[in-house]
Amino acid sequence: QSLEDCPLDEDEDAFQALGEEDEDIDQFNDDTFGAGAVDDDWQEAHERLAELEDKAGLSREPDGPVGNDGDVLGDPEDALAERLTRLVIDSELEDPAIMQAVHTRDPPQQPGGLNSSIWDSSAMLRRIRGPLLAQDMPSVSVLDYALPQRPPQARDEERDPSERALPRRSSSPIIGSPPVRAVPIGTPPKQAAIPNFNQQILCPKPVHIRATMQQRYPTPYGERMSPNQLCNVPNSSLLGHPFPHSVSPVLTHLQRAQLLGGAQVKLLPAGRMSPSQFARVSGLVGSPLPSVNPKLLQGRVGQMMSPAGGFRAFFGAPPAPPPSQLPHPPGPGSHLQNLRWVLSLSQHPARSPRPWLTIPALPRPQPQMFRPDTTHLHPQHRRLLHQRQQQNRNQHRSLNGSGGDRGGHRSSHQEQIRKDPYANLMLQREKDWVSKIQMMQLQSTDPYLDDYYYQNYFQKLEKLAATEEVHGDGPKKERTKLITPQVAKLEHTYKPVQFEGSLGKLTVSSVNNPRKMIDAVVTSRSEDDETKEKQVRDKRRQTLVTIEKTYSLLLDVEDYERRYLLSLEGERPALMGERKQKICDMYDNLRGKAPGQDRPSDDHFMQIMCIRKGKRLVARILPFLAPEQAADVLMATARNLPFLIKKDAQDEVLPCLLRPFSHVLYHLPLGTVTSLVQQLTNLPQSASAPTNLHLTAVLQNKFGLSLLYLVLSRGEELQSSDTNAELMQDNQWTELMLMATREFLRIPQGALAKPVSIPSNLISLFSRYVDQQKLNLLETKL
Amino acid sequence: MNYMPGTASLIQDIDKKHLVLLRDGRTLIGFLRSIDQFANLVLHQTVERIHVGKKYGDIPRGIFVVRGENVVLLGEIDLEKESDTPLQQVSIEEILEEQRVEQQARQESEKLKVQALKERGLAVPRADTLDEY
Repeated sequence: QSLEDCPLDEDEDAFQALGEEDEDIDQFNDDTFGAGAVDDDWQEAHERLAELEDKAGLSREPDGPVGNDGDVLGDPEDALAERLTRLVIDSELEDPAIMQAVHTRDPPQQPGGLNSSIWDSSAMLRRIRGPLLAQDMPSVSVLDYALPQRPPQARDEERDPSERALPRRSSSPIIGSPPVRAVPIGTPPKQAAIPNFNQQILCPKPVHIRATMQQRYPTPYGERMSPNQLCNVPNSSLLGHPFPHSVSPVLTHLQRAQLLGGAQVKLLPAGRMSPSQFARVSGLVGSPLPSVNPKLLQGRVGQMMSPAGGFRAFFGAPPAPPPSQLPHPPGPGSHLQNLRWVLSLSQHPARSPRPWLTIPALPRPQPQMFRPDTTHLHPQHRRLLHQRQQQNRNQHRSLNGSGGDRGGHRSSHQEQIRKDPYANLMLQREKDWVSKIQMMQLQSTDPYLDDYYYQNYFQKLEKLAATEEVHGDGPKKERTKLITPQVAKLEHTYKPVQFEGSLGKLTVSSVNNPRKMIDAVVTSRSEDDETKEKQVRDKRRQTLVTIEKTYSLLLDVEDYERRYLLSLEGERPALMGERKQKICDMYDNLRGKAPGQDRPSDDHFMQIMCIRKGKRLVARILPFLAPEQAADVLMATARNLPFLIKKDAQDEVLPCLLRPFSHVLYHLPLGTVTSLVQQLTNLPQSASAPTNLHLTAVLQNKFGLSLLYLVLSRGEELQSSDTNAELMQDNQWTELMLMATREFLRIPQGALAKPVSIPSNLISLFSRYVDQQKLNLLETKL
Repeated sequence: MNYMPGTASLIQDIDKKHLVLLRDGRTLIGFLRSIDQFANLVLHQTVERIHVGKKYGDIPRGIFVVRGENVVLLGEIDLEKESDTPLQQVSIEEILEEQRVEQQARQESEKLKVQALKERGLAVPRADTLDEY
């Protein structure tokens, strides 16, 4: 209309173009509402359907026009889908943040599954489900039609309309439905020999079959499959079979065919089967299994059914209690009960329409109580029917809680069917969607970095489990492990996105490409009028920075072991070199880099040691240092111990150093030990000093005293073990000991702190230097 | 099907009876029907349970949609053990009355406290306005 009103173009061409458009419009109208429409009398068709619904309690099929629209739109939608795919592929937008925005802008048009946008699949689902809303699938499994009280009449009635209904659905383009060339649902199976496909079960009780569980995640999750899936895929060892051996080779064949054909089956608890599933399914039975005999399928299913225990194990639950993870698990009893018949769903059908294998549930040729006349129906079709019946029946039952149905209650077959008509309001697809989002949040390029504690925890658990297994030879408890999706680390710089045809540079700033708002420049203060406090504060800050830097180095060094194990042979020397370098750097940081000169001052080290974190840092670094370096640290500590003790009064962190110090001591020679004792006790003292404050402080502090004991005991060890020690040092040591002992005797007992531990050889140490009576005195003191 | 083992995913809890504690102090009991990535919950046949002392009363509420951020905690209710409780169920009117009484008593004690603090010239502690519970 607006075009016609437009007074602008008076050209002939324009008029002609307008005319053509009018014709097109007329054509479209005609197609939709007029003679060209597929169904002339949609009203009649509608009423027919409505009758059927009343009769059989079926929900209404989508109205004619809707169906028609579906058909008409089918091609344009597909075309649109293709164009969009092309757009996505050709897109130069590398920035995922922007790409997301682009995609989410047009969810209604996209048939879904093209992008990783999480919204559309659910939205489309809603629309699909809409017409079938009344078809609440009960919580029971598909195979529950096993019950004898199933009224055959209702089924007969339903069969016809359903038959008519389904083929239409299969040809209408629902999300990801397979191309029309695929075998439509309503077609009877090629081999009539599949008897009672859907109804038959291997045992009288309702059976749930679990198919192979190759779960399909979208590409970001890569080829990563959970151990469940990995175990399951080709592993026929897990599958025993109740059938005669003739069937067994069939299994492998089928499996192979399945895998080769790229068929993937995803695990789903039976619940609602949205029509889209069927649509997809329909196309599939044709392709991967043309060569497969129904007997193979039978055998296959039989195989699948037996290793219920094995299957259950995949889900991390021991065979005995049925896994409570299933929303409506059947009762205990036959192991077969736990298998569940599943249907697979592709999330990205448009991208790669992989044929999905539907494994029909069943076939043991037993005399059946069920409807033999539905044999001509296609398996999925039959299943749908039975579900509807089930749902109808269930609607008449009272509401029962579906919760708490693990273990315990199920004694009778009847109770196994959880009577919860509101169950499964949340579709399987929706659950997967939420699960997918949660998994996406766990994506990480380096799980060890991002999720260190979880990884470590799990490693510990696994080690524990492994050791337990080694000791006990019980059955291996399969603990399901969550495999988080790992995204390959992509090293690429983000080029700011530019739009073509725009004047000037319109750069879209996003999370990955942020705009620089502030130009922050670090300026160091060098004013002379800085106050003393500021200087002190700055110095402290410097120390803190040093501690942090050293900590980073330490974490790296501690990590080298793991990296070493993961690395290739060639890389290892380089790794070792790096590690050494880092250790040196750490030491330098600790002691303060003194270029050229000897380390005269402990100042830097003392600064670090005054800070709680610094002390912890030193404790952690000590194992990595070379013996001389470690001894150096020890000496510095001993030298300044009273000062440190005073500073540590509040934190009381010094005792954490005891353990690494004792390790260091273990490697020290006597000479060093002697000087250590000297430092610690501040002996020999100059005559003028009345009291040995240093020693007093040391003795009165828990850490100090413990350290002193450790050193003394080490000295005693060395003394007693190596009688050929150099005499000079011996003399020094002996003198020192004499003095030390004198001091010990002098101090009152109450002044001694409570040490962490008293080494056993102290008494023998002192016994060398004092006589018995004094020894007793000492003993009482210590 | 074991959804995300080793994590706290609510998917396994669907269609089971749960007790949900909200930030405003309410206790809801209902069947968890649907969730989303924010842990927004859809509770079915929900009952709000008010506890006062050893008594409790249930107010049927129908369907609840709870925004995830308002949930303090939730847990599955074992249907077998549910009735095994020392608490005594009373009628709605009674429990509401009890609650009112309790509220009153609490307010009065609060008033006294504030008064006492004021008399001594001390500051009145401000409660966290975000969580009333």
